[in-house]
Amino acid sequence: MFQKILVANRGEIAVRIIRACREMGIKTVAVYSEADREALHTQLADEAICIGPASSLESYLNMEQILSATIAAGADAIHPGFGFLSENSKFAKMCQKCRITFIGPSAEIISRMGNKSEARKTMMQAGVPVVPGTKEPVYDAEKGKEIADQMGYPVMIKASSGGGGKGMRICEKPEEFCEMFRTAQMESVRGFNDNTMYIEKYIVHPRHIEFQILADKFGNVIQLGERDCSIQRHHQKLIEESPSSALTPKLRKKMGETAVHAAKAAGYENAGTVEFLLDRDGQFYFIEMNTRIQVEHPVTEMVFGVDLIREQIRIAAGYPLEKKQEEIQLNGHAIECRINAEDPKKNFMPCPGIIEDLHFPGGFGVRIDSAVYSGYEITPFYDSMIAKVIVHDKDRISAINKMRSTLGELILEGVVTNLDFQYEILNSPDFQEGKISTDFISEHFSI
Amino acid sequence: MTKLKNLFKKTNYIAIGRAEEEKEASKMPSVPEGLWVKCPKCGETLYKEDVREHFYVCPKCQGYFRIKTKTRIRMIADPGTFELWFEDMDIKNPLNYPGYEEKIKELQEKTHLREAVTIGKCKIDGTEAVLGVCDARFLMGSMGYVVGEKITRAVERATKLCLPVILFCCSGGARMQEGIVSLMQMAKTSAALKRHSDAGLLYIPVLTDPTTGGVTASFAMLGDIILAEPGALIGFAGPRVIEQTIGEKLPEGFQRAEFLLKKGMIDAIVEREKIKSTISTLLRLHKGSYKTLCFERQKEKEECDFPRSEQFCAWQHVEISRSAERPTSLQYIERIFTDFIELHGDRCFQDDGAVIGGIGFLDGQPVTVIGQQKGKNTKENVIRNFGMMSPEGYRKALRLMKEAEKFSRPIINFVDTPGAACGIGAEERGQGEAIAHNLKEMFGLKVPVLTILIGEGGSGGALALAVANEVWMMENATYSILSPEGFASILWKDGKRAKEAAEIMKITAKDLKELGIIERVIAERKPADTDHISEITDQMKRAMKQFLSEASKKTPRQLTEERYERFRKM
Repeated sequence: MFQKILVANRGEIAVRIIRACREMGIKTVAVYSEADREALHTQLADEAICIGPASSLESYLNMEQILSATIAAGADAIHPGFGFLSENSKFAKMCQKCRITFIGPSAEIISRMGNKSEARKTMMQAGVPVVPGTKEPVYDAEKGKEIADQMGYPVMIKASSGGGGKGMRICEKPEEFCEMFRTAQMESVRGFNDNTMYIEKYIVHPRHIEFQILADKFGNVIQLGERDCSIQRHHQKLIEESPSSALTPKLRKKMGETAVHAAKAAGYENAGTVEFLLDRDGQFYFIEMNTRIQVEHPVTEMVFGVDLIREQIRIAAGYPLEKKQEEIQLNGHAIECRINAEDPKKNFMPCPGIIEDLHFPGGFGVRIDSAVYSGYEITPFYDSMIAKVIVHDKDRISAINKMRSTLGELILEGVVTNLDFQYEILNSPDFQEGKISTDFISEHFSI
Repeated sequence: MTKLKNLFKKTNYIAIGRAEEEKEASKMPSVPEGLWVKCPKCGETLYKEDVREHFYVCPKCQGYFRIKTKTRIRMIADPGTFELWFEDMDIKNPLNYPGYEEKIKELQEKTHLREAVTIGKCKIDGTEAVLGVCDARFLMGSMGYVVGEKITRAVERATKLCLPVILFCCSGGARMQEGIVSLMQMAKTSAALKRHSDAGLLYIPVLTDPTTGGVTASFAMLGDIILAEPGALIGFAGPRVIEQTIGEKLPEGFQRAEFLLKKGMIDAIVEREKIKSTISTLLRLHKGSYKTLCFERQKEKEECDFPRSEQFCAWQHVEISRSAERPTSLQYIERIFTDFIELHGDRCFQDDGAVIGGIGFLDGQPVTVIGQQKGKNTKENVIRNFGMMSPEGYRKALRLMKEAEKFSRPIINFVDTPGAACGIGAEERGQGEAIAHNLKEMFGLKVPVLTILIGEGGSGGALALAVANEVWMMENATYSILSPEGFASILWKDGKRAKEAAEIMKITAKDLKELGIIERVIAERKPADTDHISEITDQMKRAMKQFLSEASKKTPRQLTEERYERFRKM
């Protein structure tokens, strides 16, 4: 087992990882930027090393600094969390060269799954259903239009390197295609210096269903059920739950087996997520594989009673999986709400500031993953998510009730948050009845 | 605010049951040798693989790393084509300089090189060439007997085999340890290059950081085309020596490649990423003469003189020719020619932004193109000087025309100037001499010369690019002894009567065709602008191909004779 792990992240996920390490008796090293001197992860870790100025490019994305810190502190592994360097194959490769264990899959798998067309190809070869779309990259608007015309509208225009909604457009009318294609391509060139585009069939009102995978070094792969992440705004998830109300036990089994098959096809190792779109007829399509721990991993932990971070560390240290697929038991229902310091009235603009007063709720089946505390200053440099509220109960309705009760108990003074907005979603009868899709937010709220 | 400081219990106090965990002495993490490199310019630590992928250019500051011979050859030569020449030469120690032989031996072991220059034959995108590479790790790439001899022999063999020579220069200069023998290498290499050049062969030195001293003063500066890497130090005396001699601090950027480009000493600065493709294009641009056309011969001259759609008076033509909307030479060049590579400088004083020159393909046929360039706005005109060329501009144009002549390449000139630059500097450097010299030398060019007036054709400033086998004008261009304003002011002492002057001066395309001053008029259905330029360039391109088809049948003597007779009858 590792003696000391460096946590190459910040915020609640860094705290989450440090906690897991502490429980496992592994010493921790936090890295922090000048703006995070007072951050919880900095204070909670056994050691903390400053790696640069506030700008993440110079600190949390600075591979050289992070590797130097790891070596200086004598840590034998790095946990990258999510975001930042977590899906950076070059960084994973550098770690390997420096004999540091990167807690995650190998550089090669990250690179293969990170490239959307490569990932798609791998899945198609393995017989995993994918969204109908172009097999080859498209660079030219006119050529793209020909393909879209054949496929039938609506279609989705996607940048190969895109993410978070950047370089992505949904086109419903042929006459709008060319202009949309060009602007999306321009975004991708500006953001990622890549003009490779794809076109695929746009699935109307789909659910975003993702399966949690664990794979060890010995070829054992298990799945820990699904998460329904359909409640999204501009492709940013807001509420996640497990299990999904859209899946019958039969469909769950089928999708779960497909996810395991997909992970095996990719030669996957460590924790990962296979994302699917599920249409109303129960047809599902692979969209991508995330080669890291996800923000919403706690809902899976709650219903399956598995500590995913601990599993990640154990797998990376060369231990086999503790449980077999048949030992995995789904228990009850879990929901997570992301609390962000942003103002829904001002187009969800981030609202940094000092948290003057804070009260976190508690009780049976309530979990808060957060890195803020009373008096903490939210800086404008990083993600605006400040807390994840997770509840666990026997079924969906009980869980929704518990979440409503819990959010009602949460007090956070000093900064504007999306707490009330989350409340409104939970109050919506459609949400309560499970009538949700990725278009839920845009259809129910005029934002 | 340090409210949480030292409040949390550390891991050591928490975990139980870890004592029995195996405490294998796991291999401690460490940075392997060569994972990181330091940028020589900005000092930042860089991931070596990044640097390698970026052609050994710092991804952070864009500073250039000096590269090893092996790397350079890999970047330039087609894989597996490099054939080493003259590797078995032993060094001489003419001064019996103590420790010299040992030093060389030590360097040979360390660098795996025999000497500071490695030379051989290779293919560059399929074209055979002699390739030489100097290496700074070997006594600063200095030139002693072996370096001089290797280069000389290589150039001699290239002359015999009719091959172009590409030489990557990187040197502190002559090698001190070999004294006067080193000095003689400068003359020896230059002599070999003279014979190579006289045989009509191409030599391209690429100056890399640093190129100084005796190397700059010999083979580095003798190229038909001289390229340099960005930021390279290039000079005769080193900056430290100059500072000590004159007792002054040198300005920022002094003796850097960019400085030399501005001062007219080198043709172009090429980024390392593009160096192979640039050299490969240049090699292609230096193949084939005007006599062996690369496109199919065009049919007999089709008369494409136009039905005029609009009747303008002479003054309106003057206004149109001066209009800011009118396309400039560069716009025509971009649309008519492919792979155009701009070449700079008069190799004497300065690069003149008022004129653009270079080589490109006209439907596969290499041609030298020179054009007077006006700016579209004030900022551009600071560089372009409103298309008014200085003496160094005419000298650059002539240098490029002579280069075209050496390689038997046709010349196409675009004229668009209010007149030659007027000022103290221009007079000091001999504006009159420069124009006169062009007129004289252009008569002797042994290749076809075509000049097209696209806007203003102001006086001697225009004529110095218009001693051609044929001169064409665009419908709304003008060509005159001087501006109508000047004409009115000299003859009538009243510059305001310019409009009246324009009408009697015979400056329009139609008038000049009738007078036999020009051969052809290029029609403009509407006064040319950026939106309608392609119909004009299509027409121009067709006409140019007709002209070159005709010219390809003529001997060099016929061409010079034709040019002589053309002006003789005026």
